[in-house]
Amino acid sequence: MIQFAYPLALLSLVAIPILLALHLLRPRRRRVVVSTTTLWQAALREREHAHGFRRLLRNLSLVLLLAAALALGLALAGPQWPASASAAGDAVLVLDVSASMKTRSGLAMTRFDQALAEAARLIDGLPRDGRMLVMTSGRKAVLRTGFESDREPLRRALAELRPGDEAGRPREALDLALSLLRGRSQGRVYFLTDGAYESSVDPGSPQVEFRMVGGPARNAAITRFDFRQELSGEDRFQVLMTVKNYTDAPVVAPASASLDGRVLFRRSIELAPRGEQTLVLAFPGRALGQAAARIDVDDALAADNQAFAAVNAHERLRVLLLTKGNFYLESLLQALPGVELFKTASASVADIAQLARSHDVVVFDGIPAPRLPPGNFLLVNTVAPGLPFADTGRAARPDALRRGRSALMRDVDLAAVRIDEARIVVTEAPSKALQRLFWSPETDLALALLHDDVKLVYLGFDLARSNFPLQAAFPMFMSQSLEWLRPRGDGFLSAHVAAGSTRAINVPAGESSVIVRGPSGSAWTLEAKDGTAHFEGTADAGIYRYAIGDTERTFAVSLTDARESDVNGRWRPRERQEEARPAGGGRQALVPLWPWLLAAALMLLTLEWCVWTGSRNHA
Amino acid sequence: MNMPNAAAAGAGIVFDDEFLRKLERLELLARKMFRGLLRGEHATPRRGRGLEFSDFRHYRPGDDFRHIDWNVYSRLDQLFLKLHASEEDLTLHLVVDASASMRFGMPSKFDHARKLAAALACIALHNLDRVGVGAFAASLGASLPPIKARHHMSRLLEFLGDLPCAGESCFGTALREFTARTRNPGLAILISDLLGAEDVEDGIEALLYSGHEVAVIQVLAEEEIDPPLDGALRLVDAESGRELDVTVDRELRRLYRLQLDRRLQRIESFCRRRGVEYLRASTAIAFEDVVLKYLRQGAHLR
Repeated sequence: MIQFAYPLALLSLVAIPILLALHLLRPRRRRVVVSTTTLWQAALREREHAHGFRRLLRNLSLVLLLAAALALGLALAGPQWPASASAAGDAVLVLDVSASMKTRSGLAMTRFDQALAEAARLIDGLPRDGRMLVMTSGRKAVLRTGFESDREPLRRALAELRPGDEAGRPREALDLALSLLRGRSQGRVYFLTDGAYESSVDPGSPQVEFRMVGGPARNAAITRFDFRQELSGEDRFQVLMTVKNYTDAPVVAPASASLDGRVLFRRSIELAPRGEQTLVLAFPGRALGQAAARIDVDDALAADNQAFAAVNAHERLRVLLLTKGNFYLESLLQALPGVELFKTASASVADIAQLARSHDVVVFDGIPAPRLPPGNFLLVNTVAPGLPFADTGRAARPDALRRGRSALMRDVDLAAVRIDEARIVVTEAPSKALQRLFWSPETDLALALLHDDVKLVYLGFDLARSNFPLQAAFPMFMSQSLEWLRPRGDGFLSAHVAAGSTRAINVPAGESSVIVRGPSGSAWTLEAKDGTAHFEGTADAGIYRYAIGDTERTFAVSLTDARESDVNGRWRPRERQEEARPAGGGRQALVPLWPWLLAAALMLLTLEWCVWTGSRNHA
Repeated sequence: MNMPNAAAAGAGIVFDDEFLRKLERLELLARKMFRGLLRGEHATPRRGRGLEFSDFRHYRPGDDFRHIDWNVYSRLDQLFLKLHASEEDLTLHLVVDASASMRFGMPSKFDHARKLAAALACIALHNLDRVGVGAFAASLGASLPPIKARHHMSRLLEFLGDLPCAGESCFGTALREFTARTRNPGLAILISDLLGAEDVEDGIEALLYSGHEVAVIQVLAEEEIDPPLDGALRLVDAESGRELDVTVDRELRRLYRLQLDRRLQRIESFCRRRGVEYLRASTAIAFEDVVLKYLRQGAHLR
C-alpha cells in the first residue's frame, strides 16, 4: 500500500481542472472559412468510425498535460512504497511444509507452489548487502541453508523443498527463526504459510511478517484409523475409522479399509456440514499385516483421504523380571517366543518409572511393589499400593477354583491346580476396569486391571508353593497375559506414528545399524545408540519397513490430524498485524517514489511540448 | 454586327472583342421545342407563319384564305390549307446561385458564375433569344425579367455585376419560387456550386416539372477540390457560420475528397437519369475555355 509523507500536498491536484479549463480556453486553432463544413464533418465521422482511438489523439496534448499534472501532484505528496523485501539486514525465510500446503489452489497449483513463487520473489528482492536463511516448518523446524548473501544456494534449497504429510507446528519454527535473528535489529522473518493453524502460534513479534497463500478449499479427511482387540473375544478385532467433513455442505464419502489386501469394509458415509462420523466395525480373524483406509472424495487435499496402519507387527516384548529367583517364571519367559527377558533382583522406587518406560512389561515376583507408574505390569504374589484392590491376609489351600470368560483365560484348565497359600485381596468397588480371571471362594486369585495409564495382571500366590507352573495352564495363562499387556496404547494393535514425528526403533544387542525403507522406496541407514535408533524421515504417509536380523518389520505413518486437515480454519494475519504491530514500529523500508514521478512529469511535459509545437507548425 | 463592349456597363465583367466575336458565332440549342413570344430562329410547335413548308390540311371555315393552296384546288377541286413551320424565339433562364459559399475560391466561384452567365446571355441575345436572370440563395433574390434586344446587354451585365452574394442556399425553396414566377418555360441553366444544402435534387426537379429544359453548370473552386489545409484548424462554414474543430492531415484530406467525389457523383448520376445536361467547371479553368470548349461539347451550344 502506497503511503504519503505529505498528504496535504495532494491538494495540488486541483491544478488538473485548472489545466483543463486553460486548455479549453487556449486559442490555438486557426479559423479558416470554407464553403461548407458538411463534407469535413462527414469525413471526420468516417475517420472516427474507422479509427475510434484517434479521438484520443486529437486531445493528446491535453491528456499529456493532465498526466503531467497528476504526476507532479502525487510527487509533491511524497508517496512511499513499503519495500519490505528489499529491507536491509538478515532475513529468515520460513516455508510451511505441512500437509495443508498440498491443498490445491487454482489450476494445477498448490498452496506450496504459491509459497515457492513468493519465496522466489523475496529472494530476488534481497538487497546486495542482505543475507537470507531458508528453513521449513513442518512437525519440526528444519534449517535448509545458513545465512546466505548469494541467491543461488537459496534458490537451490527452494528447488529441493516439497510439502510432507505432517501436521504443522509453526510456533516452534518461528521461535527458532526469531532466535536466529536475536541481536539483529534489522532482521526479519518471512513466514510463507496457508495459516491452517490457531492464532496462538503467532509469537507476536513485529519482526515476523506473514505472507499468506491459498484460498478457501473443500476438504474431507480421515482423522483417525486404528485397530484393537475386543475384550470379550480372543479372535475378534475392531477397526476404528473417523471421517470429518470440513465444508459447509453435506458430503457423501465412499470409505473403505483393508488389511493385507483383505477388504474389511466398504460403505458410504454421509457427513453433515462440518460433521464427523466414527465407524467401529468388528471383524474376525487375524489382525496382522498392513492396513490402509481410504475415502474417495474429490476435494482439495488428497493427503488426508488415506491412512495407514501396521497391525500387530512382531515386536519383541521387552520384559523386566524383578525377582529374587523363580525358576519356573524365568524358564517360561525365556522360552516364550518374542519375549526378551531382562532380570534384576531389585530396583529403587525412583528407577521403577524409568524401567517401566524402557520395558514393555515389568514383572514383580514376590517383591514389594511401589505405587505403580504408567506402564504394564505383572504382579506375582505381591500387591502395589494405590490399586483398586488391597492385600488383607492369607488364605490356606484355596480350592474350588472358578474362572471367568476373559480372553486371558482361553484354554486355561484349572482343574488340577493346587495352591498351598494365597493372598486374600479385597476389591474396593465393582469396576469395569477390573476383571476377575479366576478365584476361589476365599479370594480372587487372578485379576486383570486396565486403569488409566496402568495395565496390570495380578496373580495372588507364590508359584513355588503351587503346582500351577507344572500345569499346561501356566504357559497358556502367561502367554495370553503378556500378549494382553503388550504395549499398544489404549489397547490398539496397530503400530503407527504421526507423519513428521520420530520413530524409535529398538535394535537388539549385536546390531549397530538398521535400514529403513520408505513408501516411495527411499532408504535410510540409521546408527543405533544404546540399543535404539531414531528415525526422523517420516514426512510421507505410508508403510515403512525395516529389517533387524532376518525379520522384516513395519510401521505406518499417517497424517490423521484433525487440525491440519481443517484447511479452511485459517488464521488471518491482518488481525495480527493490526493488533501486534506497534504504531510507528514497522520495520518496512519505505522507498520514496517522488523522484520517479517527477521524472515522469518532466517527460510528459517534454512530450506535450513536442506535440503542441508539431501541431502549431502544421497549422 | 458587333455587340457593344460590355466593359463599359458590366460592373467588372469585361469581355474582349476577340472573345465576343467567338461568342457571336455560337448558337443556343434546345432539344425540346418551346412556344416563343416573338418570331425568332428556333422551331416551335406552332405552325403557319414561317417560310419553311410543313404540311397540308383541309380548309375549315375561318381559316385565312391567303394560306389556301390554289394549285391543289385546281387539280383536286378541294380546299387545302398550306402549313408552314413557325420559328420563334427561345427564352434562356439563367439561374445563378448567390449564396455565401459562392464567394469561396480565388477567383471566386461567384465571379466565375457571373461571367459564364454573361457569356451565355451574349450568345442568346445575339441569336434573338430572350434572356432572363434569377439569383437565389435561401429564396429567390434579385431577378431580371426576360429581355430580347441586344442593346439590353449592358443592362444585363450591370444586373449581374450588382448581384449580392450572401446567405444560406436552399435549392428546393428558391427554385420552386423561380418556376412560379416564370411564365414561359425555356432553357434553364442553373449555375451553382451545388454545395451546402442537401436539396439540390429537389430544386432541379422543380425546374423540370415546370417544363424547363434544364442544364446544370457546377462551379467549384480549386481550393474545394484539393483543399490546402493542414494542422489544427477551426473551420467556419461560409453559409451557416457553424464552426468545426479539426486537425487536418493527409488522411482527413483523403476522406474529404472521397466525400466530395461521392456528392458530385450523386448529383451527376441524378442529372443523367433525369435528362439534365451536367457540366462541372473549376475556377482553375478560364471561363472562356469553359464556354468555347466544354459547353460546346454539350447539347446546348453550337
